[in-house]
Amino acid sequence: MDNPSQYWSLAQAINTAASRADNRQIFSAMGAQRPGPRELALMLQPQARAHLEQMAARAKSLTARHFGNTVSLYAPLYLSNYCSSGCVYCGYASDRKQPRRKLPFDAVARELDALKREGFEEILLLTGERTPQADFEYVQACVRMASELFPQVQVEAFPMTVDEYRKLNLAGCVGVTLYQETYHPVVYDMMHRWGPKKDFAGRVSAPAHVLEAGMRTVGMGVLLGLSDPVVDSIALYLHAEELRKKYWRSGIAISFPRIRPQEGGFQPAHPVEDRLLAQIVFAFRIVMPDVPLVLSTREKPSFRDGMAGVGISRMSAASRTTVGGYAGAPAEDRGQFEVSDRRSVMEICDMLQAKKIEPVFKNWDAVYTG
Amino acid sequence: MKPLVLGDLEFQSRLLLGTGKFSSSAVMLEAVKASGAQIVTVALRRFNRERPSDDLLGPLMTLKNITLMPNTSGARDAAEAVKAARLARELCGSRLIKVEIHPNPHHLLPDPIETYEAAKILAADGFIVMPYMPPDPVLAKRLEEAGCASVMPLGSTIGSGNGIAAGGLLDIIINNSNVPVIVDAGLRAPSEAAAAMEAGCAAVLVNSAIAAAGNPSAMAQAFAAAVQAGSAAYEAGLMARSTTAAATSPLTLFLG
Repeated sequence: MDNPSQYWSLAQAINTAASRADNRQIFSAMGAQRPGPRELALMLQPQARAHLEQMAARAKSLTARHFGNTVSLYAPLYLSNYCSSGCVYCGYASDRKQPRRKLPFDAVARELDALKREGFEEILLLTGERTPQADFEYVQACVRMASELFPQVQVEAFPMTVDEYRKLNLAGCVGVTLYQETYHPVVYDMMHRWGPKKDFAGRVSAPAHVLEAGMRTVGMGVLLGLSDPVVDSIALYLHAEELRKKYWRSGIAISFPRIRPQEGGFQPAHPVEDRLLAQIVFAFRIVMPDVPLVLSTREKPSFRDGMAGVGISRMSAASRTTVGGYAGAPAEDRGQFEVSDRRSVMEICDMLQAKKIEPVFKNWDAVYTG
Repeated sequence: MKPLVLGDLEFQSRLLLGTGKFSSSAVMLEAVKASGAQIVTVALRRFNRERPSDDLLGPLMTLKNITLMPNTSGARDAAEAVKAARLARELCGSRLIKVEIHPNPHHLLPDPIETYEAAKILAADGFIVMPYMPPDPVLAKRLEEAGCASVMPLGSTIGSGNGIAAGGLLDIIINNSNVPVIVDAGLRAPSEAAAAMEAGCAAVLVNSAIAAAGNPSAMAQAFAAAVQAGSAAYEAGLMARSTTAAATSPLTLFLG
């Protein structure tokens, strides 16, 4: 779309139309041959909550069709908690009293080793917004190190230029995750008090830059709780669909982060209950049957167990959200957010196997990375 | 039943299995055994020799009388597929290669141009090339001329269970082919596999329909039986199909 605030306004209009729907319309949306934004909006209405069980059944069968009886596992690795932005909901915002750390390269190597020993083959390297301490060259060097050990390396950092993404790709990064947080331009402006992340238009255009540079996948999402989660979800879908059609050689993945308690104590204006989160995931699976849907350890074990294979096809496991959390972060460090699912890799595998789902660690090979 | 000939290799079974999507490798191995398949395909990206519990290659190598056919799923173009094929040959020692190039990770439909380019290079390099392809009769002939040992047109999209969506095109491919035609992807029910064999396919490759079945081993057996029945029916020669009745007494005798 030409104007980045159009995703929100269009999503809002679609949602308003859907809010008048009756039961019959909602039911037919669930079984539509080629569901689109209208069907997504219908399935996200409060009236659709009565059909949650049917939505779950359809989501489960569509997930099995594309992903089989498998869930792929990855681990996040926090490289640095330096940050230049003031996001009200984040424990790493630049005004927090957090001790700031950046992993020196020998510590990066130790963290990578620790994750490799756990069995991981896919990792996600994370930083805050761009800072002199953790700049592009630092991220690039970490990607290079990680790709020596891991067939699949992804990055969740700050928006970069197409040229930087291209360099990151050459260094061995196959995918980039970059959440929009919210498509509501005014709320976005309020939530991001200062720093480079205040640039709403720049944030919206970043996923296209990722794919323009030839990355295999872009991970997208909204931070559920900041704005009306239904309108934000529809806006996210509109954005993802636009990218999917333009960059047809690449893939999209959708994550469903919801606001967790964090240092700063921010309370979301639109808290998202379990049932609504489940409804959002099921609805996305129905409208995007072949897109990886991701759930992190932000969520509690019972919720993750229930969602595995029922819409969700990819999960993080045994995550530490502190810098250096795998091979020795100081105990007093606090993470970016509180992890709810603290189970070990082994425990996650046992849980999946008990549900007759195969945990998959390696689903990529470095030969395809270059 | 006549053997299935692929390059200089011969096989008795005409059911090929895919190995992804199973709920565990133990379930997958049971299904492979139950199917009687002699060729299984496995994605290079699922080779994980460092973590045996996550590896598909190791367990498959313990099976006797199985020929591995690695596939290049994940490759976006010919260059990547060629690299992957060479690596896979080194790792599992099989000359069979399923060229699978689907640049779009969502619908997983094969790129005909890149598939053709990769097939030419790999055939010249001594591989027994099995290209996964759209059901396009001209492409099938081009791939045959490029030196492929078979052609593997899709029935419908991977995992869709939509059966053979373009039966007319498949018929043209079979009628014109000098290499075995193997339907790959989209089959849901054993009856569809039987129908493909009756139509003259040399074999079928099945994955999701078995992996996602309530009882994968039992479904593997059902597919094996269907493939045998369809193949036997084809050998026996099916009665011609006609939309009009054939009169038992000639109607044109009066013409003299």
